Amino acid sequence: MTEQDLISLFKQVAAQVDKRQKFDHVTRDSVISELGIDSLSMMQIVGEMELRLDIMIPDEDLVELVTIADLVKVVEKRVNQ
Amino acid sequence: MDTPTFARLYREYSTFFAKAERERRWNVYEDVPWDKVNREVTDELALVAETFLGVEMYLPDYVSGALSVVRGSFGQTWFQANWAYEESKHSLVLMEWLLRSGKRSEEQMADFTTRIFDKKWTLPFTTARQMTIYGCVQEMATFVIYVKQRERAGGEGCEALRTIFDLVARDEIAHTRFYQGIIKFLLEQDRDGTLDDFSYVLEKFEMPGVSLVPNYDDRIEVMRSAGIDRNVFLQKVYFPILKFLDLSRHDIVQATARRRAREQGLEAPETRRATA
Repeated sequence: MTEQDLISLFKQVAAQVDKRQKFDHVTRDSVISELGIDSLSMMQIVGEMELRLDIMIPDEDLVELVTIADLVKVVEKRVNQ
Repeated sequence: MDTPTFARLYREYSTFFAKAERERRWNVYEDVPWDKVNREVTDELALVAETFLGVEMYLPDYVSGALSVVRGSFGQTWFQANWAYEESKHSLVLMEWLLRSGKRSEEQMADFTTRIFDKKWTLPFTTARQMTIYGCVQEMATFVIYVKQRERAGGEGCEALRTIFDLVARDEIAHTRFYQGIIKFLLEQDRDGTLDDFSYVLEKFEMPGVSLVPNYDDRIEVMRSAGIDRNVFLQKVYFPILKFLDLSRHDIVQATARRRAREQGLEAPETRRATA
């Protein structure tokens, strides 16, 4: 899966979890806290991505995510294991 | 209610109440150093205190709503009665500080309370189990927010407000512990059902008072520091609650998948063993 695939997956899942927001403009450099996603929605988004990709991300990898690129890096690591 | 359930809920409440009576009772008029009110604190800190006061003032709605779903349980109903007493002191002490600090007049408080009571908070969930989970998350988040403001009030040199936030935060964490004890029991009784409700509550969760307190969005713009960011929420609220309950984030993820599959009439996905 490429970085672009994972960003597309994020946009798709985020739009499903938080129907109030638009995520079309999200790029690898987007800052998560500026996307209007609260903590619990973020946990849902990550959980949904884990289910779809059949991976498990350790909790400690999730607390320091700043940008979408950080999230993609964490997901890629598990996908490639 | 069967005897073991009654006995467990009774024991949870009596343990909570005994500890509250022994270690945590405080007096609005005697335990706050009112001679150490700093009238020079920033207007932003006063706005924080007023906003928290607003959220605490929906007490009548919180109490009537919660009692309506737990009335059949002695332990939980008596907890709500005690909870109401403790929470009533939170709004009282914040109002007292706003008046004594000169940050608000009686006329302003009269207007504020009128606008608060113009709106009504409605129960966000319909069952005792869901409301217990909601209460747990909400009280823990409130605890973390008050602790943060305690440091800020200390930094602005108001020992009275620092003490207030300290006393209120202690109550909030005690309430969290009670709810956690009940949730542990609910998990023992019906793990899958409780996890389903956990995932549902987390999906719909919103702090009380949001969109009810007058000019809430404008207040948030001014007092960004009153909130907690995502990392703090995860590290100080979300993960600690799960850890205390011996749950992992993946238990919630799996429960969400099961619940959604059921809602859509599909076969539930195979449960994976959480490893994180």
